[in-house]
Amino acid sequence: MSLRTVLILALALVAALPQAPAIAQGRGGTVSAEDWQTYKAKFVDAGGRIIDDGNGGISHSEGQGYGLLLAVLADNAADFELIWSFTRRELLLRDDGLAAWKWSPAEKPHVIDVNNATDGDILIAYALTLAGEHWRRQDYLAAAAKIAPAILDRAVIDYGGRTLLLPGVAGFSAADRDDGPVINPSYWIFEAFPVLNRVAPSPKWESLRDDGESMLDALQLGPRKMPADWVSARTRLKAAQGFPAEFGYNALRIPLYLVRAGSDDAELLSRLRLGMLGSNGDLLISDVATGTVRAALTDPGYQFVNHILACVLERVPLPDSVKVFSPTQYYPSTLHLLGLSYAKEKRPECL
Amino acid sequence: MKSSTVVIAGIMFTAAGIAGFADDGLLRKNWSGVAGAPTSGDQASGLPDEASFGVVDKASRRAAPEFRQVAQNTQPAAEATRPQATAPVVDESALRYFASKGDTARLQAEISRLRALYPDWTPPEDPLAVPRNKDVQLETMWQLYSEGRYAEVRKAIAERQAGEAAWKPPADLLERLNVAESRARLVNASDLKQYETVIEVAASTPSLLTCSEVDVLWRVADAFAQTKRPDRARDAYLYVLKNCENAPERLATVQKAVSGLPYDIAQELLAFERTAPGGGGEFESIGDDLARRFVAEGDADGKLAVDPKYILRLERLVETEGLASDALLLGWYQLRRDNMSAAEQWFRRAHDKEDSASAAQGLALTLIARKAHEDAEKVLYPWRDASEDAKATYFAATANLLAIEPPVTLREEVLSRIAQETTKGRDPATAQQFGWYARAMEQPGTAAQWFATALRWKPDDEPSAYGLALSRNQLGDAAGVAEIQRLWAGRSERIARLGETEEERRDAIARQQQPLAREQAPISGGRQKTPAAVTEAAPRTVTRYEVEQPVAVARQTQTTGRNATGCRTTVNPARLSPQAALTRGWCLMDLNRPLEAAEAFAVALQAPASQMREDAAYGQSLAYLRAGLTNRAAVAATQSTQSRRRAEELQSAILSDRAIAAFDAKRYREALIFLDQLGQISTQRSDLMVLRGYAYLNLKRYAEARRIFEAVAATGNRDAQRGLADVGRAQEIWPNK
Repeated sequence: MSLRTVLILALALVAALPQAPAIAQGRGGTVSAEDWQTYKAKFVDAGGRIIDDGNGGISHSEGQGYGLLLAVLADNAADFELIWSFTRRELLLRDDGLAAWKWSPAEKPHVIDVNNATDGDILIAYALTLAGEHWRRQDYLAAAAKIAPAILDRAVIDYGGRTLLLPGVAGFSAADRDDGPVINPSYWIFEAFPVLNRVAPSPKWESLRDDGESMLDALQLGPRKMPADWVSARTRLKAAQGFPAEFGYNALRIPLYLVRAGSDDAELLSRLRLGMLGSNGDLLISDVATGTVRAALTDPGYQFVNHILACVLERVPLPDSVKVFSPTQYYPSTLHLLGLSYAKEKRPECL
Repeated sequence: MKSSTVVIAGIMFTAAGIAGFADDGLLRKNWSGVAGAPTSGDQASGLPDEASFGVVDKASRRAAPEFRQVAQNTQPAAEATRPQATAPVVDESALRYFASKGDTARLQAEISRLRALYPDWTPPEDPLAVPRNKDVQLETMWQLYSEGRYAEVRKAIAERQAGEAAWKPPADLLERLNVAESRARLVNASDLKQYETVIEVAASTPSLLTCSEVDVLWRVADAFAQTKRPDRARDAYLYVLKNCENAPERLATVQKAVSGLPYDIAQELLAFERTAPGGGGEFESIGDDLARRFVAEGDADGKLAVDPKYILRLERLVETEGLASDALLLGWYQLRRDNMSAAEQWFRRAHDKEDSASAAQGLALTLIARKAHEDAEKVLYPWRDASEDAKATYFAATANLLAIEPPVTLREEVLSRIAQETTKGRDPATAQQFGWYARAMEQPGTAAQWFATALRWKPDDEPSAYGLALSRNQLGDAAGVAEIQRLWAGRSERIARLGETEEERRDAIARQQQPLAREQAPISGGRQKTPAAVTEAAPRTVTRYEVEQPVAVARQTQTTGRNATGCRTTVNPARLSPQAALTRGWCLMDLNRPLEAAEAFAVALQAPASQMREDAAYGQSLAYLRAGLTNRAAVAATQSTQSRRRAEELQSAILSDRAIAAFDAKRYREALIFLDQLGQISTQRSDLMVLRGYAYLNLKRYAEARRIFEAVAATGNRDAQRGLADVGRAQEIWPNK
């Protein structure tokens, strides 16, 4: 081992100190083996591909990132290895080190859009870092340390004094669109930023967190005062053109990300909860201009978001209906497992 | 860009340091443990040995690899340099697996590989009889591997390690797995044109770059060629030609290399041609294609010295096979080198064998070069619309043909088709020469029209302005002459002096001065000939470009009395007086019979009075517009000067029609140009703004499309609202949850 390597290792250790690993040490993760098995049986194919059954069975970098993260949380090194092998070979192909976002089993080449999706890149690098630290795998850390700087370099911009996350390298900037930069607030995966700072130290991660929180504080659109899925950050924040102006399937995960990252902003969480809470815990997606409800989502994975907010804010325990995981569709089921993992690790009183 | 690259490189280097080099660092560590010997080159860079391929730059692992040194060894790097100090444990698990499957091809490959790896190793006498792997789990891993299910092998290894802490996967399996995954990743990146990734994977997996993976070598070579590193591409191809034995792959390598690399590099590669078993060169079978390929490069680059052997070969091919395309290659090659008679010979052969735009164009150029302009026009006429080049050459021929001194008598049919093409193609050089030709034929009225037309297409064309002034002078149009003199004041002395001694010198001077404008148009040597080359002969008095059209003179408008009742009977307008024809023209317009009206206006255009001519030209333009003949309308509008208001009205109508036609033909950029021009002379109609929006949309200029649609949609325009939605749809790229 060269002197340089030693120094770098030492630095990495120092950087790692303030943060405890997010995974429980020892056997058994915060996602139970049974839950992971049922999830896997439905959404992960034998070759390590996460299947988005709500979108015609395609795969994407976001799904692979979620799969990697859940495998770490389930403390399943073999499945992590499986999903990572697929992800690296099939998506981690871009010249800039980011992942191509969209993969279709029906087409050749399988990658049908070589643009990236920044939340997918964040999830992959985040999961790799956790896995590398947890299982002492230098190759995972090295891979994370290659993706994370590429995110900063290619998808994090300074615009009008704010640090913003572009949803993709191509197509969202001020130069690309009239109302650009366009952002997606649900791409701010707050829990990932301090972790990525360990493999790619930069003050930008902290700025991203700070400006992301300010963004959510400011995003009070329409009578329900909710954020939109896609937001123009050109001037005053508002719903982006060309996308449905709604608090929708993207934005509904924001509260889950906030609580997972340990947010104590009760005002923000309460506002979000109020805007999306339907009867029986249904999750309401709504038009941000009029406040009109577009749909009341009953899937337990979506309902979980409301229930966990109730527990965090008002100490209401989770109802039995969402304590047990039963896979439905890729996206809500993923959110469900992320939520249960959080409850098990940080909020045992909710269970 | 530069600084960010440096930053990334720095971070990556850090990452490499932390990780001890990602997968392969880890793998090699395990592997050397099994083999009982340390690997060499364990510097901070974590480099594998570079003996085999030299693709790795030792100083910076993640920098672009260089094919610095190519050794003769075709074995994977790590294997080739594996130290043999201690007796190695030969891993026969792959052997056993292939044997158990009866896969003799892979079995033999594995035996060769192990032999190369372990010279002291003795293969089993009957390989098919070797006992199966007793280790069932390992057997499964090999099976997954052989089926290309690499992710599942990784999973199986990890699962077993979780259960048996002491168990280590065979180094051979890990090495092969790593190579196989890298290969798949490299191919994926190559398919997506992610060339830096291709090169990076190749650099970090040198054992992939061997003769057994020629497809990978080709992809790496292509990645270098596509990223403007032809020397590195050459090195990759050279590696194959120096080291690899498979004859079809060697041939394919040469075919790929010469198609994408410049002549000199191709020659360098061909120097490694071997003698085939039969005695000839191994690339003889593609010798004809190589000759074609190199002569073609010589066609494109007149300075390239192509080896005469390729020229000779192609010449013989024309004799034996008689392909027009081969003769064409030779024609262009000679033309590019100004060997006009040789070029003409080849083009004529091609033309006679199988007429084509290229043959006609080449032949026409050689004919123009020896001043056989009439022949050139004839040869090229059928192909005039085949391409921009063909059109340019055609106009070179027509302009030169009309400029011949003394004027040649041309058949009516030839003259009329040249006139038709000139107006269709808006070629100012030929139009000007038509003017001089008409003057020579004592037709000053026609001459004036042609000069005016040329000026309309090329407002700074002084010879045309001069010709127009001469012609008007001859027609007695003193006001018209004065107008030109005013517009060209300070820009042309000969226009300014015109008329000083006009009575006695009028025609004589014109004839004397004409040669200045009538020099033979020069011929440029190649296909890139443009009309500009023809007009280079224009006199030097033109000093600056005037946006204002010299002949656009504002005059007061008058409406001519119209009578819808007087034109219902069909008469031949040629028999009418100009005034009567004009009246009839308007009358027919009122009856919505535009084509007949256009004919009537054409007669009125012969009127001596300029005001009447203006009205006639205006009427004719409107008539053609109404009939949907935009180009004719444009020509008609040039038949006389127009008042500003009328000129703008006509221009607007013409440009709108052209924009719509261009849009319908999916020529969106052209449509935008017409709309821009339109925007300069009139306020935009909302339907045309919507058209502009859709032109942007089709060009994927979403921001601009959106801006336009929004502006128009704000007025309540439904088409614009729909356009806005269409932009949204075109831009919506994320999946719905």
